Amino acid sequence: MTTKKMFLRPCTWVYLFLLSLTFVTWFIGVNNLSGRAFAFTVLGFALIKGQLIGDYFMGLKQVAGPWRWVIFVWLLLIGSLITAAFWKTL
Amino acid sequence: MTGMEKNRWPPGDLVIWIFIMAELLVFGVFFTAYAFTRAHNVELFDTYQLTLDRNAALINTLALITSSYFVVRAVADIRADDSRGCFRWLLAALGMGLLFLVVKGLEYKHHFSLGIDLSTNTFYMFYLSLTFFHFLHVVLGMVILLAVALKARKGGYSAAEHTGVETGASYWHMVDLVWMILFPLVYVMR
Amino acid sequence: MKYKSQKVAKLYFIAAIGLFVGQILFGLIIGAQYIWGDFLFPEIPFNVARMVHTNLLIVWLLFGFMGAAYYLVPEEAETDLVMPWLANLMFWIFLTAGAATILGYLLVPYAQLAELTKNELLPTMGREFLEQPTITKIGIVIVALSFLANIGLTILKGRKTVINLVLLMGMTGLAVFFLFAFYNPVNVVLDKYYWWWVVHLWVEGVWELILGSILAFILIKTTGVDREVIEKWLYVIIAMVLITGIIGTGHHYYWIGTPAFWQWWGSIFSAMEPIPFFMMTVFAFNMVNKRRRNHPNKAAVLWALGTAVMAFLGAGVWGFLHTLSPVNYYTHGTQITAAHGHMAFYGAYVMIVLAMISYAMPMLRGREAANSTKSQVLEMWGFWLMTISIVFITLFLTGAGILQVYLQRFADNPMPFMVVQEKIQLFYALREIAGFIFLSGLLIYIVSFFVGSKEPEATIEGEVVPT
Repeated sequence: MTTKKMFLRPCTWVYLFLLSLTFVTWFIGVNNLSGRAFAFTVLGFALIKGQLIGDYFMGLKQVAGPWRWVIFVWLLLIGSLITAAFWKTL
Repeated sequence: MTGMEKNRWPPGDLVIWIFIMAELLVFGVFFTAYAFTRAHNVELFDTYQLTLDRNAALINTLALITSSYFVVRAVADIRADDSRGCFRWLLAALGMGLLFLVVKGLEYKHHFSLGIDLSTNTFYMFYLSLTFFHFLHVVLGMVILLAVALKARKGGYSAAEHTGVETGASYWHMVDLVWMILFPLVYVMR
Repeated sequence: MKYKSQKVAKLYFIAAIGLFVGQILFGLIIGAQYIWGDFLFPEIPFNVARMVHTNLLIVWLLFGFMGAAYYLVPEEAETDLVMPWLANLMFWIFLTAGAATILGYLLVPYAQLAELTKNELLPTMGREFLEQPTITKIGIVIVALSFLANIGLTILKGRKTVINLVLLMGMTGLAVFFLFAFYNPVNVVLDKYYWWWVVHLWVEGVWELILGSILAFILIKTTGVDREVIEKWLYVIIAMVLITGIIGTGHHYYWIGTPAFWQWWGSIFSAMEPIPFFMMTVFAFNMVNKRRRNHPNKAAVLWALGTAVMAFLGAGVWGFLHTLSPVNYYTHGTQITAAHGHMAFYGAYVMIVLAMISYAMPMLRGREAANSTKSQVLEMWGFWLMTISIVFITLFLTGAGILQVYLQRFADNPMPFMVVQEKIQLFYALREIAGFIFLSGLLIYIVSFFVGSKEPEATIEGEVVPT
């Protein structure tokens, strides 16, 4: 397998996976599904999508050391804060 | 990049990563402010969230993800020393960015035709500010991609030296990444 | 000094330092009036002394910026100034107008000054920091336009560098936003709204571009780091300045009658304004660490690093302290604001001008690259005395401010303004002492120009560049 394919193939899978998560999120949205289960599923999907974009599209999976984790830490931080803010209201 | 050895630095110019971190910080503050303000105005936020067009948001999310994927292909091409391919994929990515701007513009047109503005209520204040701030980032990202694309067409990058392509790509992925959170947070979570 | 016309910078620098001394003297007078309310009354009332203190600051910084530009632009553009005579002429016009205005403040009552200068024809007087008579304001515009024409044409003629373009952008912005000093709507909300376009968009917008470009220039010259690397930093710093600083103006719009969304816009964007300052700190230290050579002018490098740190602390941290609207609800217009104002102006703008003077003055006075070691040691004493005393002034004012906020606005039984002023006297006294130490630092700084001029230049022989 060429280097190019080794780089592209996982990205293509990630792309398709991102599309499918988006459709699920949209489905929950248009049907106005509410409550903790749905809201945090959607949030969880968003965080997973973010991590995949960071790891594969931005290529952080190939990076060692602190830069490997910039996106992860950001997602963790806003994920926790958003969870904290939504928790009691749902 | 062979896939086995890990790099010490992220792809692209390090300075763009410092910029990306700063941008993520700003968006992070915005998202957190939205979430906690909503906690104090649940009814208001839940009511007006229903007036948003989730189908438009779906199209826009797909547009940005696809655009990001096209940029990935552009990077793959230039790493294989294929300037033409790189240019074409960047052009395709720009097309998707344009689609985003058009759809978002139509959404704004709809809201403005109803006389909605920043002072209508707190929900719309956040919705308009957040999405418009992101909108400006899409524009900025497209300007950067366009500059990279034009240089790529002139053969300004090669397999050996293509930091510029990776720099533009990293910024564009950040614009995509932020929307991944914005979409569920503002349009869906209730 | 590579180009003969750079020489005009010298006049501007000398005037800047002279007016700086005046500013500090008037600062000490108002500092004393905080302790003894009728000190020098009725000859120099508090409001007049304060007006002189702030106006002198702005004027001398403008002299400093223009001097810096006249030195930097030819060197970057690799060509002489197109009109050095105009720069000289404008210097004297600006100095005369500035001096006449200050004398006007001091010698006649403000209302009479307004009458004398025919303010009624185009009323622009009476607003904080923009107190200058209309005729002076018009003079400032003429000086600014000639200045812009001069450096603009020089840049057009010569090599175009990022530093020159960012500087030109900043200077153009400075001139454009000053035009709002002439816009004086009757509606008080609109009046304040546009007043901030001068005041805020200067110090938290276009001036930062000037600061960034001068800092980048000094770092290129003293560290030998590739221009390309420094320019990249400059790009992201100015992008961040513009993203945060423009909408960050909103932190002045909380309580003046503007729509409520400004509470959010102002809070969020201005809370991010420390980011570009932080980047500048990282930038400056990074470049000095990566230096390709040592520079014999140690004092200039010290000023450059000092401005990066102090701007972040004064503008960034002390600004952040009271920028969020729920906090500002209590702190607005207290000594907290004064604390921030002192360290921000010193850290960001005083120090960058002094850094440029420190770098350029030896060459302007015929040295190869640097002053003698003796002179530099004294200059660095001046640096530390001024910097440490401004830190203390800031801390004392912060202490005064916290107490003021609590007693006057937060406590269960809030006290009246004047009663609270009595209670925070101790801080005012300490601030005045720190002010005198600042003056001694400034005097030592000035003395450093006159010592060791017969001694040989400092060298870097025997020094090793860390790899």
